[in-house]
Amino acid sequence: MSMSQEEIEALMNGIDLDDSGDKESDELVEEKSSQTLSTDEIESLINEASPNVDDDLSSEVSNDDIEALLATIEGVKGDESLSQNNIESKAVASSSDAEIEKVASDWASKKLEEGVIPYPVTNDHKPINQLSEVAHDSEEKATRIFDVLSFILDENNYIQQESKKLDEFLNKQVALMEALSSKFPNIDVFRSNHQAALELKGNIGLINSKIDAENMQLFEAMELMQFHDINRQKIERVMAVIRKLSRYLNNLFEDDGSHKEVAVAKHIHGDVNNDVVGGDDLEALIAEFNKG
Amino acid sequence: MKILIVDDSSTMRRIIGNVVMQLGFSKNDFDEAEDGIKAWKLLEEGRYDLVLTDWNMPNMNGLELVQKIRGGGNHTKTPIIMITTEGGKAEVVTALKAGVNNYIVKPFSAEVLKEKLDGVMKK
Repeated sequence: MSMSQEEIEALMNGIDLDDSGDKESDELVEEKSSQTLSTDEIESLINEASPNVDDDLSSEVSNDDIEALLATIEGVKGDESLSQNNIESKAVASSSDAEIEKVASDWASKKLEEGVIPYPVTNDHKPINQLSEVAHDSEEKATRIFDVLSFILDENNYIQQESKKLDEFLNKQVALMEALSSKFPNIDVFRSNHQAALELKGNIGLINSKIDAENMQLFEAMELMQFHDINRQKIERVMAVIRKLSRYLNNLFEDDGSHKEVAVAKHIHGDVNNDVVGGDDLEALIAEFNKG
Repeated sequence: MKILIVDDSSTMRRIIGNVVMQLGFSKNDFDEAEDGIKAWKLLEEGRYDLVLTDWNMPNMNGLELVQKIRGGGNHTKTPIIMITTEGGKAEVVTALKAGVNNYIVKPFSAEVLKEKLDGVMKK
């Protein structure tokens, strides 16, 4: 059933029309729709509408309702093949997009390698930007390496301080066991304990000398880290050269802006290009067009 | 004794600080600044017995700092050692003329720094 313009307008105003198409009721509807509602009227309307909404929401769903709902969902399954087709066609489209992208990317990489096209002007390809990033990152990492070296150095110092206490204790033990073993030479325990205490003392001395050697290595590593600063300064020197070169090239190629942009010829006689037409080609082309 | 270490590289400041600590100083005995401007601010606010400075730094370089220190203020007589990658003869002469007491070229060993520190501190 086609709708009249009035019906469409009424629909757009959110008012349902009676299918009978009664003219009077139409006019009434139009009148009503043009009326502006007061705040009280709006509130009463909301109050009228609200309980119904609440009722709908609060009404409990019975098992039968759920079954009916499930049945409608199952009914929808019939359309699954259609949606499956849609998914498949989308997948095909996206895979062909991916293929096109891959081909384009391969082509661009090849041309970049050949030096036919330049690298895009992004931060990743700007030398100063990259060099500055390298200098900054390596400074950050160097600081962290230094933290690690300092930590090991501090821990070694702690171990050496604690081993001093152990050494002091062992000194007392050695003296005690020495006195006891000399006073009671027949008791083996004193003599063997004296020997063990002496051995442990020797071990602590060995550990301390190993830690000292390790500390020396750490100091050497810290000294070598000066090369990080030297290399950073070399990078900064390169950056300075690039900046100066860039400024020079800008000065060299810039114009004073008084020259207007002129249209340039795409194909000029003498160009080595398949698109350039020779005298015969030109005549043949003109003749062919004149035939039509 | 209070020492001021000036270098834009945090790694270098730590290396120098480490050597200074090996000489028997504690962390409280030295302050750090990353350029000449910050160093000058510290020099104005406090009292230092020795300045160890780099040459190439942003904002105010080491040479300008030396000239400023020697030009006036509380530290005109304070010993200054320049620790830098600038190893040219002309640069060394320029630094000495500006008022530097000693000059160390990077990379340096802890022994060299200790020697120079001892030499400056004895005077």
